[in-house]
Amino acid sequence: MEILNLDRLSKNYGKIQALNQVSFSVPKGSVFGILGPNGSGKTTLLGIIMDILKSSGGSFTLFDEVPTEKTRQRIGTLLETPNFYHYLSAVQNLKIVAAIKQKDESDIERVLEIVNLIQRKDSAFSTYSLGMKQRLAIAAALLGNPEVLVLDEPTNGLDPVGIAEIRALIMKLANEGKTIIMASHMLDEVEKVCTHVAILKYGQLITHGDVNEILVNEDVVEVSSNNLEQLKKILIQFPGNVNVYLKENTVQVNFQPGTANLEEINKYCFERSVVLSHLQLKKKSLESKFLELTN
Amino acid sequence: MLDLLKIEWLKIKNYKVFIIISLFFIIGVFVTNYIVYSVFDNIINKSEVTHVLLNKFNPYDFNFVWQTVSYTSGFILILPVLLLIILVTNEFAFKTSRQNIIDGWSRLQFVNVKIMLALIVSVISTLLVIITALVFAYTTGTHFSTDGFSHVGYFFLKSFSYNLIAIFISVLLRRTGFAIGIFFIYMGTENIIAQLLDVLSIKIRLNTGVDLGSMGDYLPMNASDGLLSFPRNPLKSMTSAILPTDYTSLVICIAIFYMILFYWMCRRNILKKDL
Repeated sequence: MEILNLDRLSKNYGKIQALNQVSFSVPKGSVFGILGPNGSGKTTLLGIIMDILKSSGGSFTLFDEVPTEKTRQRIGTLLETPNFYHYLSAVQNLKIVAAIKQKDESDIERVLEIVNLIQRKDSAFSTYSLGMKQRLAIAAALLGNPEVLVLDEPTNGLDPVGIAEIRALIMKLANEGKTIIMASHMLDEVEKVCTHVAILKYGQLITHGDVNEILVNEDVVEVSSNNLEQLKKILIQFPGNVNVYLKENTVQVNFQPGTANLEEINKYCFERSVVLSHLQLKKKSLESKFLELTN
Repeated sequence: MLDLLKIEWLKIKNYKVFIIISLFFIIGVFVTNYIVYSVFDNIINKSEVTHVLLNKFNPYDFNFVWQTVSYTSGFILILPVLLLIILVTNEFAFKTSRQNIIDGWSRLQFVNVKIMLALIVSVISTLLVIITALVFAYTTGTHFSTDGFSHVGYFFLKSFSYNLIAIFISVLLRRTGFAIGIFFIYMGTENIIAQLLDVLSIKIRLNTGVDLGSMGDYLPMNASDGLLSFPRNPLKSMTSAILPTDYTSLVICIAIFYMILFYWMCRRNILKKDL
């Protein structure tokens, strides 16, 4: 079963195309990261799915059904900012959420325990710090133990301990078999927890699929000699390379992770009468891979 | 709908602004009527001249009391209007309008529960008017009568009409201060236009003999306002002498038409726009 299926979803704000015919599917049980720089359309996409924004074109299904308010009740959602009644306490706010979701109020204590807000459960929301507000929003999303979670920048405003806690919580929920759809621009967050990823840029879907295929950390070998063009020409023939290109007086040769062999490269070049003046193995960072995809 | 209203109650029952404005309104209805009652009891009816001139008229006697209390209480309907504007615009300020939908309400449920809230506020306001009228009327020692009770119905129409306009402006503008400001500006502007239309109605009647009624009463707020007046109001009597045709039923229909129109516009706004 597909939890979410997008079919050419589009959204315009006047002349600005926030989403342009985006199509992908979220399989059941996956932790699906929606990646993209600021303004790429991540929140717009989730806003349409949760019916707070109207799409300009295309369609989508949730749980293989045309979405209704009943399907949204099966999803725990944290979208953009924590939205609560400022004058009410955490418990009073969660009672409203439970009533709308048609879940039992007895679950409120459990979710407040999970996000470490039990000590401040009777304090007004307006007295909370940004991190506490974010924790309460996560508690609201967890209420009723939903099978699907939609989390937009879930670690926003949290301190390093909070970030680690929420990351661990997401991993735990994923291990329980829940489907998690998570929008983020924090790459290490996505790398650590996601099984699938979709990358957006200016509302366009750049790529999507298994995170190990999309955001693979390639080995990069940096080589140099007195004739870079000739060096590049012979390295293109080197077996196992993924990509060869010139960069700042060096030739960069990309390999699948763990497959670069410096000795072989040196020998290969020497046998073809090219003496290397520089030879270094580098790990390609996730950031550079992301930048490569989005630039 | 009962479930939705229970959730709405969870939102407002601990809200200090709701409690304070509600108390002000309840006290306000009694105090406003007490002031009018006192003026008649202690000044007008104690003077031999005015007492005779008004034909020993006490506006809080049965028969008149329904009209008097409905008309007088209408002046402080602005308090429930303010309350509704604050409650609805809060939903947009706190972005809880979005969260309610995200959590599992439909957009239609969101708008319908606000309209139901406006209806309940009007029903409670009307009950308050009935209780106030009974309390004051029994102090006059007159016998119970339901003559003139239709004015309580007109009060309900006025209250619900004002509340719907308040909700429409709140849904449209989504900001508390802006919505309150625009409500007052609209109220003032409509009154000025209504006065001009009333003058035009009299001119048409005098020049052509055609009685179109007070055309100011065909405007959204004035449609329900025009149904209420103080008993034996000399201005109303003068207008009635020039424009004798009774258009009460038409004005009621127009008031109901505007209420349906405002509901439809609220619904359209919430269903079609981004939240």
